[in-house]
Amino acid sequence: MTMLAVENLSIAFGGVRAVADLSLAVQRGELLGLIGPNGAGKTTLLRLMTGVLVPDTGVVRVDGRDITRMPIHRRAQLGFVLTHQVVRPFREMSLLENVMIAAAQRQMRNPWRALVSVDTREARERAMRLLERLGIADAAAKSARSVPLGYLKRMQVARALALDPQLLLLDEPLAGLNYTEARRLADLIVELNAGGLTIVLVEHNLGEVTRIASRLLVLHNGATLAQGAPREVMARSDVRSAYLGGESVAFA
Amino acid sequence: MDYYLSVATFAALNVVLALGLNMISGFCGQVSLGHAAFYGLGAYAAALCSVAGVPFVASIAVGILVAGAFGVVVGFAALRVREDFLAIVTMGVGFLFLGVVRKQSWLGAEMGISKIPSPLDKTGYALLAIGAAITVVLLSLHVRRSWMGRAFDAVAQDEDAARTIGVDVAGYKTTAFLLGTATAGLAGAIYAHMTQLIVPDAFNFVQSITILAMVVVGGIGSTLGVVLGAVLLTVMPELFRFINDYKLLVYGALLLVVMRFSPEGLAGLYRRVSGRRLA
Amino acid sequence: MFYVELLVIGLVWGCMYALMALGLTLVYGLLRILHIAQATVFTFGAYIGLLVANRTDSLPLAFVVAALAAGVLGPLIYRLVYEPILDQPPFVPLIASIGVLVAMEDGFRLIFGPYGLSFENNPWFTTTLAFGGITLNLVQVWMVAAAVLLLSAFALFVVRTRAGVAWRATVSDPVIAQNFGVSVVRVRYLNFFVASVLAGIGGVLVGLLNNLVEPSMGSVISYKGLAIIVLGGLGNVPGTLVASLALGVVESFGSVFLDKVLDRDAMAFLFLIVVLMVRPKGLLGGAH
Repeated sequence: MTMLAVENLSIAFGGVRAVADLSLAVQRGELLGLIGPNGAGKTTLLRLMTGVLVPDTGVVRVDGRDITRMPIHRRAQLGFVLTHQVVRPFREMSLLENVMIAAAQRQMRNPWRALVSVDTREARERAMRLLERLGIADAAAKSARSVPLGYLKRMQVARALALDPQLLLLDEPLAGLNYTEARRLADLIVELNAGGLTIVLVEHNLGEVTRIASRLLVLHNGATLAQGAPREVMARSDVRSAYLGGESVAFA
Repeated sequence: MDYYLSVATFAALNVVLALGLNMISGFCGQVSLGHAAFYGLGAYAAALCSVAGVPFVASIAVGILVAGAFGVVVGFAALRVREDFLAIVTMGVGFLFLGVVRKQSWLGAEMGISKIPSPLDKTGYALLAIGAAITVVLLSLHVRRSWMGRAFDAVAQDEDAARTIGVDVAGYKTTAFLLGTATAGLAGAIYAHMTQLIVPDAFNFVQSITILAMVVVGGIGSTLGVVLGAVLLTVMPELFRFINDYKLLVYGALLLVVMRFSPEGLAGLYRRVSGRRLA
Repeated sequence: MFYVELLVIGLVWGCMYALMALGLTLVYGLLRILHIAQATVFTFGAYIGLLVANRTDSLPLAFVVAALAAGVLGPLIYRLVYEPILDQPPFVPLIASIGVLVAMEDGFRLIFGPYGLSFENNPWFTTTLAFGGITLNLVQVWMVAAAVLLLSAFALFVVRTRAGVAWRATVSDPVIAQNFGVSVVRVRYLNFFVASVLAGIGGVLVGLLNNLVEPSMGSVISYKGLAIIVLGGLGNVPGTLVASLALGVVESFGSVFLDKVLDRDAMAFLFLIVVLMVRPKGLLGGAH
């Protein structure tokens, strides 16, 4: 069943077409991997899905509803959450506080309601549990400035989960992580998906993404080049040549 | 005694003004260089009402409402522009306010509004002002502790990240402006009745800067720091009478020195010395 | 005919604004600082120019000395005020700059007195030129001439000289410029020098125009200058020029037609706010 669909999506930046007449449907419960060479339009597509960018033409639909013009924060409130390629923590807050803010999202929806809520206990507990799940509870009190990248990336996922998402869009969550860290995070992503969370993943780490994705979609020059089961897609010669001179094409 | 009451009253009014600006610029990170305009809007609105016969309390309420309403308008306008622009736009709002008031005869033009009815005596105003200051201090402390304060913090640190976790950035910015400008309106309304005469020049850019100086010296974001900054900058020129002639020179130099050596103001100094944040 | 006259006056004012605003946009383009203290340099130049002119009776000498004096003060402000706080959040240099403005304005008042000084001999003020039915005094003519000459010189400098190219590179990308051996610090000093010379000359011209040099003469023009650079797109030099001229013309017409409604000085900000509401990126949009 289709959860999120984009239809004929196009966007251009200064004359360069980043996404060209793209249509794609994300099925409920799947773990979709978006891959493609640099500049293929993957991040742009994620941003179009979450409202960070507004398309020149085309629509974004959720359960059939047109949300193309819906603002970012409303989409997040509805459960469509994006984690960024370049991690953006709140630098002056601790990891725990970073996640707590997301956990308290319902309380903060209305500024006036937020004014009268002072209770942090529930948010704190939820946030702590999420940090534990992501394996970074030991650094809960540390400031976001002072922890290594691996921790920040996992904090981002924890923060996204705190929003109770129905669809999680991860932009290169494994980038910058070493082999073990990447494997661990990838396993966690599989777990989350197994628990019913629909996930769309943009990744360059082909080894991991072909291992965990239920479906792969290859983007090239802003359009779909191929899609299907990971093994089949990676075996295609046009996909390989699109990656000419690029990535490590090692897969499980 | 009268003299001390006067100083105390002005200190209290400045506390209210500075805390309002602190909510906008300190809590929510929205630079505002035109705060005096809202002080003025509250003063003029209250004055016009009182002169027309409206009862004291109602006039004050009108002052608060008018300032807050314009604050919301400016808040909305502010949404459209980036941070760097915001400073200039708010400065512009201040000049626009003055520019309009100076030319309207029904607002008293250059001569201002005089003979504003004054139901209280000096002690009464002192108590009123101090009462207002205490209320705003409590409000400010509460906001900081509440989820609204945390949301403001997120908006101030990284708007875009805040959006992606569902924070209604636009709504919070506008709310910050509303709270900050309404409190400025309160101060203005009290001021108008107390002095019984208001002129446009009392609400000019220098006044905006003075309020800003109090926030900055006290420590942007810190309620108690800002209270200290406001009291200090009100009392100091009185204590050192000879400063009065050099007041602007001292203010300017103070801003410079604080920005250069301790941008986080007195609250920052406190933090460095004691290791703890000042509320 | 009346309208043409208003237009010409507007353009004269526009040139005056350009001299101030250009410096502001140069500083912003390089350092992302709103150099409100430019007013100080402007006023300083005016006072120095006046003192020299009254002493030596030579306007050209007055200009040269004023330009140099301003050219020293500007970089000095950079060194003492901005350089130590470059890594702080943007409100810090802004407030520091306001501090300089407020303090120095009072300083001028204390040194030179609050009522301002006049030029003893102001031949340009009294000499007039008439063409096409419009009369302008020499100061106004020189205002336009100065703006045109200085801007052309700047344009040539930026395109033709090594220092100019180095400057452009640094504005574009300081790290890469440094990799190519450009001394970023030197470029900054040069930047402030140029911005300040422009302001200093502008100061003398405005002093001659009003036949008065007083402590607060720079501030209002500086505030408007900030409005102008926002309108022109922060850091955008051609945009700033267009916005300067536009503002001059708007003020000229506005002071006649909106006289009953709005103070002349507030018009700049009304213009700013109206434009920004319609085009949030400014008249020409974004820096280049």
